[in-house]
Amino acid sequence: MTAPRHHSTLVVNGETRDVLAPVSATLLEVVRDQLDLCGTKRGCNHGVCGACTVLVDGRLARACLMLAVDVGDRPVTTIEGIADERGLSRVQQALVDAGAIQCGFCTPGFVMALTALLDANPHPSRDEVRSALSGNLCRCSGYIKIVDAAMRLAGSPDA
Amino acid sequence: MPESTNKGSSIRTSAPQPDAGANGTRPPRRDGSAIGASPPRLDAADKASGRARYADDIRLPGMLHAALLTSPHAHARILGYRLDAARAIPGVKAIVTGADLTGPRAGGIIKDEAMVARGKVRYVGEPVAAVAATDMATAERALAAIEVDYEPLPAVLTIDGALADGAPILHEEFASYVKTIDGGGHGNVVFESSVIEGDVDAAFARCDAVVEGTWETQAQHHVYMETNGCVADVDAAGRITLHVTCQSVAHVQQRVAEELGEPMARVRAIATKVGGGFGGKHASNIHSIAAWLARAARRPVKLVLSRTQDFEVQRCRHPARIWMRTGALADGTILARDVRIVTDGGAYADESPPVLAFALLMSRGPYRIPNVRATGCAVYTNKLRSGSYRGFGNPQASFAGESQIDDLAVRLGIDPVTLRLQNAMRPGDTAFGGQPVASCIVAECLERVRDAQRAAPPLPAREGRRRGVGYAVMSHVSGLMGTAAALQLRSDGSVGLSTGCVDLGQGADTTMVQICADALKLPMERISYAPQDSDASPYNWKTAGSRSTYMTGRAVAVATVEMRAKMFDHAAELIECSTADLELKPGGVIGVKGAPMDVTFKQIALRSLFQSGGPIAATHGFVFDGPGFDPKRAAVNRLAFHNLGVYTFGAHCVEVDVDEGTGAVEVRRAWCAHDVGRAINPASCESQIQGGFVQGLGYALTEAMHWNAEGWLTTVTLADYKIPGLLDAPPEIHAIVLEDPDPSHPVGAKGIGEPSLVGVAPAIANAIRDAIGARVHTLPMTPERVLTAMDLLS
Amino acid sequence: MNYVAPTTLAEAYRALQADDAVCLAGGQSLVAAMNLGLASPALIVSLRDIAALRGIETQADGGLRIGAMVSHAELAELGPSAPGPELLSRAARVVAYPAIRARGTIGGSVALADPSADYPVALQAIGASIELGGRSGTRMVSARDFFVGLFETARATGEVVLAIHVPPGPAGAGAAYEKLSIVAGDFAIVSVAAIGRDRLDIAVGGCGPTPIVVTGVGASDEALLAAGRALAASCDAPSDHRASAAYRRRVLPELLRRTGRTALERASA
Repeated sequence: MTAPRHHSTLVVNGETRDVLAPVSATLLEVVRDQLDLCGTKRGCNHGVCGACTVLVDGRLARACLMLAVDVGDRPVTTIEGIADERGLSRVQQALVDAGAIQCGFCTPGFVMALTALLDANPHPSRDEVRSALSGNLCRCSGYIKIVDAAMRLAGSPDA
Repeated sequence: MPESTNKGSSIRTSAPQPDAGANGTRPPRRDGSAIGASPPRLDAADKASGRARYADDIRLPGMLHAALLTSPHAHARILGYRLDAARAIPGVKAIVTGADLTGPRAGGIIKDEAMVARGKVRYVGEPVAAVAATDMATAERALAAIEVDYEPLPAVLTIDGALADGAPILHEEFASYVKTIDGGGHGNVVFESSVIEGDVDAAFARCDAVVEGTWETQAQHHVYMETNGCVADVDAAGRITLHVTCQSVAHVQQRVAEELGEPMARVRAIATKVGGGFGGKHASNIHSIAAWLARAARRPVKLVLSRTQDFEVQRCRHPARIWMRTGALADGTILARDVRIVTDGGAYADESPPVLAFALLMSRGPYRIPNVRATGCAVYTNKLRSGSYRGFGNPQASFAGESQIDDLAVRLGIDPVTLRLQNAMRPGDTAFGGQPVASCIVAECLERVRDAQRAAPPLPAREGRRRGVGYAVMSHVSGLMGTAAALQLRSDGSVGLSTGCVDLGQGADTTMVQICADALKLPMERISYAPQDSDASPYNWKTAGSRSTYMTGRAVAVATVEMRAKMFDHAAELIECSTADLELKPGGVIGVKGAPMDVTFKQIALRSLFQSGGPIAATHGFVFDGPGFDPKRAAVNRLAFHNLGVYTFGAHCVEVDVDEGTGAVEVRRAWCAHDVGRAINPASCESQIQGGFVQGLGYALTEAMHWNAEGWLTTVTLADYKIPGLLDAPPEIHAIVLEDPDPSHPVGAKGIGEPSLVGVAPAIANAIRDAIGARVHTLPMTPERVLTAMDLLS
Repeated sequence: MNYVAPTTLAEAYRALQADDAVCLAGGQSLVAAMNLGLASPALIVSLRDIAALRGIETQADGGLRIGAMVSHAELAELGPSAPGPELLSRAARVVAYPAIRARGTIGGSVALADPSADYPVALQAIGASIELGGRSGTRMVSARDFFVGLFETARATGEVVLAIHVPPGPAGAGAAYEKLSIVAGDFAIVSVAAIGRDRLDIAVGGCGPTPIVVTGVGASDEALLAAGRALAASCDAPSDHRASAAYRRRVLPELLRRTGRTALERASA
């Protein structure tokens, strides 16, 4: 017999969405499988890689480590909610321009982490950038150009 | 661009200037020449916005979910299956076990395996059965209801165990397996090979200094951020289409067709966006399993591995034991090297034969050592099979070889860089195996990293840390196997380009378009690049072997020549001149040299489509055609490579701090100089160099797969298997991109994907030795191993 | 599996009477375990809405009462504090990664008692106390008595960690927390927490099923090394794929000396 499913109402990228999921369903599963927001990635499903990073209540969260039923009315932002009217956010564009994107699987997680950092601290030092991004794994880039992109944003006058 | 100091050389440095802004992307120049520019990747915006579609993002109507039942035994006979309870669960639509497989075994050079275990299981984690059901929970319930009867057998988990007298034999029917190359396997030996030049024993007798040592390397996992997976679709006639994260649609198509007993015309593979490969996304059991289930259920089936299952089911880098002996005269001239490599191939042969071959070929290193004997074998053990992984045997061989060169330097009292320069290959030398190497800039690579390290502002010393500097040089290839490219001219004068080269994230898509844009003097936006689809794409062996820019890039470049010739024919008729009078002008224009008499690509296209000549298309395909091994120089015995070449060279210099109290190693800075032939996209070259460095750092210091005494892999999560994170990677990895063009490539390009990793571990090992005066011979060089080496010294 | 989100402690205690009921705090350990198939409780009692579990109160003596649901990030960002809270803050800063610190809670970490975790070590060095609550009332257990074994604490079934009481520590003391791991943010191979001014209270993690405490260690290098050697000789250090027991014993004295020295350097003159 399949597990009983609970109804929750989530606020995702500014929209109220109804979700029917078992208690054990994570925010990651619900966002991808029920809300069709596939930009948030499942890299490990045990909270280490950071590919599932989203914002909950404006702060970083590993979507794979949150039960969907426990989110409540705290607003959730996924990668799909990051781009603005121009197409890509500053953070996204900076990563593109820096050549910091290779296979791209870690990229949404880095976008979320970098967005959260710059929202809280518009002019971080290199050490602050490195520390803020330390929970996002990348296997392709060696991290150098990702930090370069962040430092360019950190030094930008229109931050 | 700065010229090399090597007089008369065409070597250029394509490194961007060292301010932060220049290391990023730059658009193509106004004259349309795209080579050497660093335009943003074609798919960068999709990836940044989360739009890029990977295998797990694919949903098809009616799609089922598949789950794998895997072996709990390292070695056991399968006595029978009971499936009735599983079949009875509502929502279960198909089940496959080894009992369903009746055709011949599949595999690489040795066909020793099947998509699920047949008759025996040979490693813990081997797929034994698979279920497709309406949802994952049902599939997993069905797995729990499947009963498999096993008769456990004694297992071998080590090289020594596998080779011991009376060892349990993994493949009792080995002699009856189909083998496309005879490797002399017997018992648990999968394959044996050797490459011998000169007279090693006589040469050693003349040496003034001989050093000897044994190095051990570990199983490393690819840990691509996206795990392996696919969605297998099926049509009413039972024809399979796989949407698959892979390194070759041709290879997936071929293996799945083979395992399903279908002609390849009834199997189609379409590459999804790939979230990293590194050698771990070649044809896999799971592709055939998903296809089988889809065909049986007559519905699409998704099979995406969890991270833990990807560790348990897929493949890893060959653990290896490398014994090496090198001898030289007192003046530093190296005369002889003797190498014996044994690799642990795991439960199935997979790519053990070519990895062994390449390890042997690379074991001489980029040195002019006239007498070399390299022998080795790959063995079966009851563990996850080892397979292709960035470097392909070269990291193992180089870890030993480049460590031993430093040992030799110490013994001779010669500086390690000086010793390397003295013995470095020079243009016109031959590679190990006898192939002529017309150009070689390994000395320049080494000098550049040495000079860069010396010129860098010194880092202050830290209390309790010992500083060390270490070097390594390396060589690799870029040319092997076959590939092709196809072009077509569209009615508006834009061009469609198609290759079978899957972009794994290294930027191959963008590179191919740049080559095409440059050759046709067309803006990149006017070139479309087709996704890789075995129904439509030209053949490409695999995205592997650092071969894409050389092989497929060359095919693209040569195809543009044919296309240009056809367009010139049309232009000559339109303008009423001779083709000899014509030249290609920027922006999709062909016209008379030095005169404003032009026609556009669009005019040519319309003429061809509606008036005369027919649609303009061009193709070029070839199989690697460089000089082969030279039997007059080298005795090559049972080498599982027909031919390979296009040698590239590189050098690493790293600075480390070793903690005197704990043995922990921190890489502070690194300089990496690589010959890429011609940097099509310099920013991408840098990215590969930096990324390869960090994956090599993981190989050197942090990564190891562990099996327990029962053969269970215990490092199956990212909490246990540690790849370098941002804080573990040095904040400075200086990529020095050098260009020594290869004359057989229209643009001169060579590869960089694997070279970036190969020299890292020995450079770090040599830096550690420089810091503490002791050498670590085993990877990874954990704090414990480093501290133990220090303790042994004192 | 069922889920409830009580808004009061009384409701939570009632919910926890059910069989196989567990508390959900930050989820950084529990949900990971669930995803890996290592935990499948019948009832999840979320502490998310219980206001009484939040907040940091400064006590009159400069110590803190830290609500169980306070995150590592909040603790990492504590401003200048008395030495006890300072030590805890330093440990909080090196727990895992920023996203984990944003959600993980001190109550959850303490209740789990992972032998490689950072808080139990710091709390034992400081001599903190754990405030537990249940249907029969509340009680305090000293940190040095709370961590009983591998993933085992003095918390009874049905009890909830309400708060952690962190004493101010000796006036003018310095505090330090150091951990040795294979990669940054990883679980510790060995970790050391030290607090003191003239003599040090030290706790060591990673060398046994629970942290080991030694108090009143002298401030000289010789005294610190001797204390480390004594601990190394007597501890039940594990061997795992990160390091062997022998290695842990080998590095412990020097790590103890370094951490002690760092704490002393931070003490006011």
